[in-house]
Amino acid sequence: MIKKILQFFKVIKSGDWLIIILFCGLIIFSTKFLWNLPQGEYLEIYKRNEILATYSLNQKITKIINGAKGETKINIDNGKVRFSSAPCAKKYCIHQGWINKANQTIICIPNQISISIVGAKRKYDSINY
Amino acid sequence: MTLSTINIINRDHQIAKLSAIAVALSLIEFFLPSPIPGVKPGIANIIILYTIFKFDLRMGIWVSLIRVFVTSILLGTFLSPTFFLSLSGALFSLFSLIIFRNLNSKYFSIISFSLITSLAHIAGQFIIVRLWIIPHNGIFYLLPIFIISAFIFGLVNALVTSKLLQLNSKK
Amino acid sequence: MRLNNLLIYILIGFLIGCSDNKLHHGKDYIFGTLIDIKIYGESKINAEKVSDEIFTEFHRLHKLLHPWEKSLITDINNAISKNKSISINNDEIIKILTDVQRLETQTQNLFNPSIGKLIKLWGFHSNDYNRKIIPNEEIIQKLVSSNPSMQSIIIKNGILKSNNKNVQIDLGGYAKGYALDQAKKILKNNNVKNALINIGGNILAFGKYDERDWVVGIQNPRKPNILATIALKPGWAIGTSGDYQRYIMVDNKRFSHLINPKTGYPERKTQSATILLPPSEDSGTLSDVFSKPLFIISKKNKVNMATLLNINYFLIIMDDDSILLSKSLNKEINWEDDIDKKNITIF
Repeated sequence: MIKKILQFFKVIKSGDWLIIILFCGLIIFSTKFLWNLPQGEYLEIYKRNEILATYSLNQKITKIINGAKGETKINIDNGKVRFSSAPCAKKYCIHQGWINKANQTIICIPNQISISIVGAKRKYDSINY
Repeated sequence: MTLSTINIINRDHQIAKLSAIAVALSLIEFFLPSPIPGVKPGIANIIILYTIFKFDLRMGIWVSLIRVFVTSILLGTFLSPTFFLSLSGALFSLFSLIIFRNLNSKYFSIISFSLITSLAHIAGQFIIVRLWIIPHNGIFYLLPIFIISAFIFGLVNALVTSKLLQLNSKK
Repeated sequence: MRLNNLLIYILIGFLIGCSDNKLHHGKDYIFGTLIDIKIYGESKINAEKVSDEIFTEFHRLHKLLHPWEKSLITDINNAISKNKSISINNDEIIKILTDVQRLETQTQNLFNPSIGKLIKLWGFHSNDYNRKIIPNEEIIQKLVSSNPSMQSIIIKNGILKSNNKNVQIDLGGYAKGYALDQAKKILKNNNVKNALINIGGNILAFGKYDERDWVVGIQNPRKPNILATIALKPGWAIGTSGDYQRYIMVDNKRFSHLINPKTGYPERKTQSATILLPPSEDSGTLSDVFSKPLFIISKKNKVNMATLLNINYFLIIMDDDSILLSKSLNKEINWEDDIDKKNITIF
């Protein structure tokens, strides 16, 4: 293994580095683009001020989360997310329905749980409401 | 016999010898299990690269094509999808070599050629797969794996070949 | 060979540089809403320290100014309701109360933090507001005609008295903005150059994000989408009063927490009123306070009120989806959705 590494540096020339860097760039690009890795779109669930969990949007599943007031159910369905049950009184979070685009967020304030779709490029740093 | 005729006969011998080794390696590789379907080290490519660098591109083309045809005939996969995959990969590799053959060897070593050809090789194979064998976009999910393995094996093959060239030039 | 080494170092350096994150992000729930602090360009340790200091200050203000849980404000309100005077040893509260008296006059009584009884009547003095019926008309009228106002409060030599028993102080439309200004001081004291503070939607931009201005998205009042984005230049503040966060539904009709002091009823013809204010010592406070009169006043008088309060950047959405937009804001706003431009009137 070490012999191989030594030999590598004997053989390699400056132009090779360019090819290597381009190749690595291609690898990174293809993984980000095709594998929806953390720079792709995914769901972030916050409890109070910490990220509780991160989930891929490419699945159909229900997650049960415990918040300040109690248990809440979150549906993920292939690209869209919603609250399906929550222990708050007003159920505003549920009435917001499905969200499916980067930067969309639904917050259940009484339960202190928020769900956000995180995307590659944030068009803005914060939301005024 | 004239000198040129002797050279031609020498060349043919070389081609035959090298092709035989390449075929043998291909056969061995065929019977070795691989953890991920479709991901193979492509060790026969070492011979092809060796041929190109020790001799010239034309010989490399001969050896490469002979390898593809003979291997598939011996394995009984001639004209099967596997054969076309192999052929497509080989052709794309060779095309990329023809395009890049003028790369200044002061700045580019065998490593660059190996990486370029291995990328072209999987590109050629991928196109056949996408168009014909698994014709839907789910296949793109596997592309990163192939690109990564092309990178790794491209590097390894380059180093092995360079070592071989080094050893043989001492003779 | 040396060139190879150099290239290796560059490659490694490139990879390390990419993973370094200069943005510190903190969240908390205070004032009954979500607080979001972003600090840019500080070391992680310093950003955490400053962020903690700001959250601590917010918690302090939350306890000090709470409109219905035990606080200095509720103590004052108790005394007022019993027609008693109360001694206040807190300079900050005296300053705040004097300040809101001035603001009440300035906004022609539309920002009126003494109508706590009306707000409570409509059920908004609770974290779970869920009235199903409109309060009794007579009670509303009684409270309105008693004319509660901050002007009835007199503070002299640290003693507070009001001659109107129906005055109940509720600083809900003031506290968040005031907290923004307090945060500004903490940032300055700690030499932080770039931050973005969001208190329940009320945002203050401090410095920039690297080389560009902080960018803020404006919420669509009826969908979980962004209506538009706007760059907040250093020191600018943005505040919105809207009917889509705290409201009750009665017979399918929406009644928000923004009550018109003159009628005793929530203003129902406006969906949201957004204002942007340039840097000033109390820009945070004003961005909270001034959105209220703009929300409550009748449509035909909204632009006049904006002029009166020296607001050059405003965006008001009426319940029929028509939009009142100031000329200055129109130049800088970036619309997101396919907004029907016909609905927009520029002033």
